[in-house]
Amino acid sequence: MSDTQTEPLSTAAIEHLLGVALERGGEYAELFFEHRLSHVLRLQEGRIHEAGVHVMRGVGIRVRVGDQQGYGYSDDLSQEALERAARVAAKIAHGGTTRSVSVSERSVESMYLPGLWSDRVAMGRRVEMLQRADAAARRFDASVRAVNANLHDEVQEVLVATSEGRLVRDRRPLVSFAVQVVAERNGERTHGYYGDGGRRGFEFYDGVTPEQIAGEAARIAVVNLDAVEAPAGELPVVVGPGGGGVLLHEAVGHGLESDFNRQGVSLYSGRVGERVASELVTIYDDGNLPGERGSVSIDDEGTPGQHKMLVEKGILRGYMQDTLNAALMHTHSTGSGRRQSFRVLPQPRMTNTYMPAGDLTADEVLRRVKRGFYAKSFAGGQVDISKGDFVFMVGEGYLIEDGRLTAPVKGATLIGNGPEIMTRVTAVGSDMRLANGSYTCGKGGQLVPVGVGLPTLLISSMTVGGSRVG
Amino acid sequence: MSADPLELAQRAVALAAACGADQSEATMIVSDAFSSEARGEKITKLQQSVGRSLSLRAFVGGRKATLGTTDLTPEGLEALVARCVEAARSVEHDPLGALPDPEPIGASGDLRLIEDDVRGRGEDEKLASALEMEREMRAYDPRVDNSNGSRVADALTTVALVNSLGFRGSYTASSASLSASPVVRDGEEKRTAHFGASRRGYAQMPSPAEIARVAAKRAVDMCGARKPQTGVLPVIFERDVASIVLGDLFGACSGANVAIENSFLAGRLGEKIGSDLVTIVDDGLLPGGMGTSPFDAEGVPTRKTAVFERGVLRSFLFDTYHARKLGTKSTGNAAGGTVGPNNFYLEPGTGTLEDLIARTPRGIVVYDIIGFATEHVTGTWSRGASGFMIEGGEIAYPIDGFTIAGNLREMLAAVDAVAGDVIFESPIVSPSFRVAGMTVSGT
Repeated sequence: MSDTQTEPLSTAAIEHLLGVALERGGEYAELFFEHRLSHVLRLQEGRIHEAGVHVMRGVGIRVRVGDQQGYGYSDDLSQEALERAARVAAKIAHGGTTRSVSVSERSVESMYLPGLWSDRVAMGRRVEMLQRADAAARRFDASVRAVNANLHDEVQEVLVATSEGRLVRDRRPLVSFAVQVVAERNGERTHGYYGDGGRRGFEFYDGVTPEQIAGEAARIAVVNLDAVEAPAGELPVVVGPGGGGVLLHEAVGHGLESDFNRQGVSLYSGRVGERVASELVTIYDDGNLPGERGSVSIDDEGTPGQHKMLVEKGILRGYMQDTLNAALMHTHSTGSGRRQSFRVLPQPRMTNTYMPAGDLTADEVLRRVKRGFYAKSFAGGQVDISKGDFVFMVGEGYLIEDGRLTAPVKGATLIGNGPEIMTRVTAVGSDMRLANGSYTCGKGGQLVPVGVGLPTLLISSMTVGGSRVG
Repeated sequence: MSADPLELAQRAVALAAACGADQSEATMIVSDAFSSEARGEKITKLQQSVGRSLSLRAFVGGRKATLGTTDLTPEGLEALVARCVEAARSVEHDPLGALPDPEPIGASGDLRLIEDDVRGRGEDEKLASALEMEREMRAYDPRVDNSNGSRVADALTTVALVNSLGFRGSYTASSASLSASPVVRDGEEKRTAHFGASRRGYAQMPSPAEIARVAAKRAVDMCGARKPQTGVLPVIFERDVASIVLGDLFGACSGANVAIENSFLAGRLGEKIGSDLVTIVDDGLLPGGMGTSPFDAEGVPTRKTAVFERGVLRSFLFDTYHARKLGTKSTGNAAGGTVGPNNFYLEPGTGTLEDLIARTPRGIVVYDIIGFATEHVTGTWSRGASGFMIEGGEIAYPIDGFTIAGNLREMLAAVDAVAGDVIFESPIVSPSFRVAGMTVSGT
């Protein structure tokens, strides 16, 4: 199937369409072609329950004039339909002159580790992986009652051409394996969730095995059987390494996306060079980590991914830029223009966002807390980028008493204000690691895969939203 | 390529049969969608396209596979249907895996799915509405000095469904929405709010000016907000937030979750769970409702189902598969391969949100929540929130940076007042309501 899509549009056809898009005088036109073939295989109640095949194929055409964007798309690749989409996009411009466009192809360095492409993998191999996960979760503990597992993989082929003459292609692998386990004891039910994957080939699961992923999900479900109600009120919070990086994504990352800053709606607008966090805080967004879930060889506007310093020792250094906002802010795209599919406009987005290691051991960080909350992993988060208030939902959490982890705590929501929390970072561990590859960002309703990473971190005070008062 | 949607669906069903599927069902969705955004005095986004997608469910001896595709070329479709049917062979046999038994669509009267002004209204008028919202927000208060944009969007969507047991049906529905999102300056800080409306057509909608004013008021009124003290208080959920809470409850009422015991309501049919004020209904036939349709995603006729009656759990909501699993019948709630709402709502009481506030000596009213921490299996529920402290039956001051936490089961039991202000502007809606006590975490 994927082979039928190698040459969807000729160079001449692309140049013609970009010319049609600029008929009314737009400043910039872009064509985005996508063909994505995904497979999903789902296990439920011990058996392979459902298989799915999905194809997204189509072209999106954008025209820009200043901060105005016109957009049209078509899943019908006939010349007539594509010209119609180009003319819809052109409508945003008024009364300019026609110009001709010529594009030439350039190559890009791959940031993926495709190995065994998923469109070459037999269904039998997928079935076996799910069955191994099911067996491993059930072996883990007698309290395991239900196991649900999902294997999702895709190959996305992208072609981007612009009126500036750029033509680039990208072929992106993505694998994702996730297990949900329900445990039960004395009528109390809890669940655990864990997944891993990345922009890699299927051989990834020879290293990180279905047994390990299912075992981790089962471990979390079983730990939660002994969980106590979360406390309510302000407490010191230690955030665990890896998945704790969701903190950076919500508390700081979204506020540094260039659309919000160009428009002046982010609390970080106009603050490059200013102190926005404690001097212990350095944050990178890196699209060039080979094989990671958030990595991009090129973004969805054809710009190569980059390693970007966002915050250096507490000082704001820069924003994540797409082409539109970079042009309006007189700077360059940082390879951050991403989109869910050809049906939507790209937005500036994060790739893999992380904080480098500090110099304390995790134990040394924990020992600084007499009574507090330990967030080992997060189930997700959300932020209001104007005020900076964010929440995240704890996947696995514990009480800290006298510098040690004690009772596990039931699902709590933590709430904080981005800049406030970042000034309260008082200790950073040396155990930085990237999280398991299972995170997806949903900005503006568009889903894109992202990565996060963090060393163990101490926040001196944060509101823990549990239900136990006092 | 502009083939009739029913014919394309029919073709996919025929292809599946030729590949060896013993049953199949295909749905074509064709949506002609317009969207626009204004910021300040300019139109910043303008988009119009026809999106088409086909989905197919194929059964091979009780083994199920699905296909979703925007590649509708004859050769593409043929290869993909073959791939889908082949994938089904990897699935394990499930005796319940089959199409619904044929059931005639009754005379459902006029469902009022289409309003002519979605097609009839010119682009210039729609763009003028977006610009008007931008102006009106700023005119409301000088502190409104920026925005995340004002949006006008609409769509005309056709759904065509064909299955191998002889079902063949289609319908077309319109929708329109207006929304505004101001940013206000609050000293050194910025605050934002969002308010919008959706209907089947523009004529049913509040005016752009009214939407802009409500959005601006919501942002301005929050200026100077502080963190409340931690404690247990009555919590009033304003209509839009109440609808989100009801959405969380829908997950627990979904037969797909109940069948795998991923719901705190599993096994509790007939039990008194909520207070007497909790009557919750799913109605697929509500004229003009945003979740209304003559048949669900499997071609099963929609209907009205009582989920809770005066606090007693009466029914879960089902598609065919999960209904068979629990030995019951579909309630016409199949959607996208699982169970979805038609018009799922809490039956309104009487009075306004202001009346609820006046009847609350001390408590909080919540206008916005963020986060999504709901565990259906336990009912554990918590969110970040903002709103107002109520003292002596009056709004005292704005509050933010706090969480509210509880358990959906306990919250249902503690619903002690319901207003009459429900608006059917999405498939899950609720009037404002009050919960007698929840944990508020602040300082």
